[in-house]
Amino acid sequence: MLDTLNQLAGGFDTILTPYNVTLIFLAGMIGTVVGALPGLGPSAGIALMLPLAAGMDHASGLCLLTGVYMGTMYGGRITSILINTPGDAPAIITALEGYPMMQRGEGGIALGISAISSFVGGMFGLVVLIFFAPVVARNAIYLGPPEYFLLMLLGLSTIVLLAGEDMLKALLMVCFGVLVSTIGADYISGHVRFAPVPEFIEGIDFVAIIIGLYGLGEVFHNLEQRVTLNLGKPSLKMSDYVPSRAKLREANGPTIRGSLMGTVIGILPGAGATIATFLSYALEKKLSKNPENYGKGEIAGLAAPEASNNASVPGSLIPLITLGIPGSGGTAVMLGALIMFGLQPGPLLMIKSGDVVWAMIAGLVLANVFLLLSNILLIPLFVNLLRGVQGVLASVVIALCVVGAFSLSYSTFNIWIALAFGIVGYLMRKNDYPTGPFILAVVLAPLAENYFRQSVMLGQGRMAIFWERPISLSIIGAMVLAIALTLVLRMTMQRRRAALAANEESA
Amino acid sequence: MLNLNQTRRNALGLIAGGVAALAAVPALAQDFPGGRGIELVAGYGPGGGHDTLLRTMAKILQEEGIIEEPLSVVNKEGGSSAVAMGYLNGHAGDGHYLMSVTSSHVTTPLTSNVGIDYTDFTPIARLGIDPELLLVSSKGPYQSIDDLKAAGKMLNVGGTATGSIEHIVAIEFGEQAGVEVNFIPFQGDGDVVSALLSGQVDFTIGNPGSARDFIEAGNFKALAVSTDERIELMPEVPTFKEQDLDITMSLFRGITAPGDIDDETRDWLIGKMKELSENAKWKEVYLDPNGVVPGFLPGDDFAEYLGQTQGIYKDALTKLGLLK
Repeated sequence: MLDTLNQLAGGFDTILTPYNVTLIFLAGMIGTVVGALPGLGPSAGIALMLPLAAGMDHASGLCLLTGVYMGTMYGGRITSILINTPGDAPAIITALEGYPMMQRGEGGIALGISAISSFVGGMFGLVVLIFFAPVVARNAIYLGPPEYFLLMLLGLSTIVLLAGEDMLKALLMVCFGVLVSTIGADYISGHVRFAPVPEFIEGIDFVAIIIGLYGLGEVFHNLEQRVTLNLGKPSLKMSDYVPSRAKLREANGPTIRGSLMGTVIGILPGAGATIATFLSYALEKKLSKNPENYGKGEIAGLAAPEASNNASVPGSLIPLITLGIPGSGGTAVMLGALIMFGLQPGPLLMIKSGDVVWAMIAGLVLANVFLLLSNILLIPLFVNLLRGVQGVLASVVIALCVVGAFSLSYSTFNIWIALAFGIVGYLMRKNDYPTGPFILAVVLAPLAENYFRQSVMLGQGRMAIFWERPISLSIIGAMVLAIALTLVLRMTMQRRRAALAANEESA
Repeated sequence: MLNLNQTRRNALGLIAGGVAALAAVPALAQDFPGGRGIELVAGYGPGGGHDTLLRTMAKILQEEGIIEEPLSVVNKEGGSSAVAMGYLNGHAGDGHYLMSVTSSHVTTPLTSNVGIDYTDFTPIARLGIDPELLLVSSKGPYQSIDDLKAAGKMLNVGGTATGSIEHIVAIEFGEQAGVEVNFIPFQGDGDVVSALLSGQVDFTIGNPGSARDFIEAGNFKALAVSTDERIELMPEVPTFKEQDLDITMSLFRGITAPGDIDDETRDWLIGKMKELSENAKWKEVYLDPNGVVPGFLPGDDFAEYLGQTQGIYKDALTKLGLLK
């Protein structure tokens, strides 16, 4: 413990120079802006900074990259909340609760609460990274394809929560999502599925789909309905931006639970931030006293996923720095950066270049503090910017979406994909088909499919592999328990409601 | 309205095409690159193998003064390098575009209908090879090739993607050593490493780059290497050949230019790549950290090598039922 603190102090010693502090501050800001742009997520942000980082000394370069990484996680929520266009996958859930708050004129509050939850989540993940990284990494690898398959199944089961009124429509959307996710090369069989042109070989970029579905779909819908936003005139009234104490108290529990969930799931190299946000949203809705408010701007449903989203950043760095295994798109680019610096990512990284790694961790702590401050101070800017352009918001959103889609692979192909899914999104909204189950299936179905096939292959054709392993057996146990609990709860609720209705009738 | 836009776009397209045609006129050979920068095209995203190779290469070429003209790395990702191949092919005749290539340059045209293959390009140089190692866990029950042969059960083998070189090596090993192997494809080196670390597979096939530290830390043991001779990086690891298994197959890393470039340009580029491969910095900053074995082959030799490699893949993929 003392040794760890000493090393961390050494790290702070390295980075607390005017140059490094300024650099970390700027990195956070750049990350926020990049993350806010639809289509540019953590991987793109880190990649953009690679050439710049290459010219710096190792500690500064890594601080720049991780600062941008953390920044994009803060930034992703901004467009989700303000214009219902998630900047990257982990921000999808944020839009579900954040955008309704925005429509109610509470966009500033939503941004404030989510910034604070993000900070708490990030710090939580960092503490785990600092004190438990080696232990955690040694144990995380024992989770194999069977465990990951069950985890994905758990994720897919949250479809019930995102379904809305009509279960049949939700299931239809799930099927559609599964179908879309099968496009592209399948590394397990080695065959390419449904690829009429080479652009489809690697599958449809998931971010192009969310840009279309949420961003463009929303615009098309609003244009038809002639929705006029009334966000008020630009103002600097503090009560518009600073969440009241009651609202913060409402966010407390969810933030802590979300942080925990994000750290745990983020560490697992096969899972990552997106599933962490889905699961913590599901958990909050389950625990909530008024689940019917979800989807209408519920603070708990906003705070929890935001906390887990940011907690997963340090979480995903754990397997990277202890084993050289990237757990997310962002850390995969970081892996390339480590190699570029001539540092060997692997089990010896902490031993051979411990000082650089500790400097990077210290940089992350500092970046997180800067990001909280700058993000809270920037809220009035973002909100007023939006108020200023609300008359032409549709055009602004379309422009952002097109640029975002283009920047995914610097080709026009993804613009057409986004447009196609914009029309799909518009039709879904018009006919009341829920988008949540669709997007969840697109993200999780291929993972579930691949983990399932790997598991059966590992078991050499025997299904018993799913219940012969202690960890997977306990996950199955937990799932059965959760389902049973839900059913019992639903039955008692129905009985109570029926009794209530009967009472009213007799009265 | 739509028609008007269509016409305007067509007109713009014509103009753009005209400009492109003008630009594509090859510069006079003697003054190549004629002050114009060279674009290095990576068929995969930033941070990946192709990207790292090109960025490191660009840095050394400039810092060591091998190429004075500006070099820029461009990522044209998508379609397992098919998108980049199409992009490079669009610049046929212009040596100001270079692309990094690995086995996907040969396999993607085999497995999908891309319409072009390696013969449509001008191979410049093979810069190195990534040998395949047969790896076991130091804590596991199998510590030698003989242990594996005597396992008496179907062995689980980890590697990346079906149809990859790891897969081909694993199948070859099974056939020649007379053991049943069950290949399990994982997504990326990281997953393969954790599968072996946690004992979920009996052995894996992988590159020195991702395995070296685990060998040094005592987690893994390399039982064989897929090259003709032992590699400098791991002199203690015997080859498959030494153990009476005829497996010599490695991933290659090279550079190719668009088709139809003139001979002077080609020779200039080959010369520069040769200079790069002989530079001490290159070995220090790229080859060694990435565990890549030097193996420079200039133009025609590289072309011949590509031909052989295509043959090997074609046979292996047909045998695996991935090609009709």
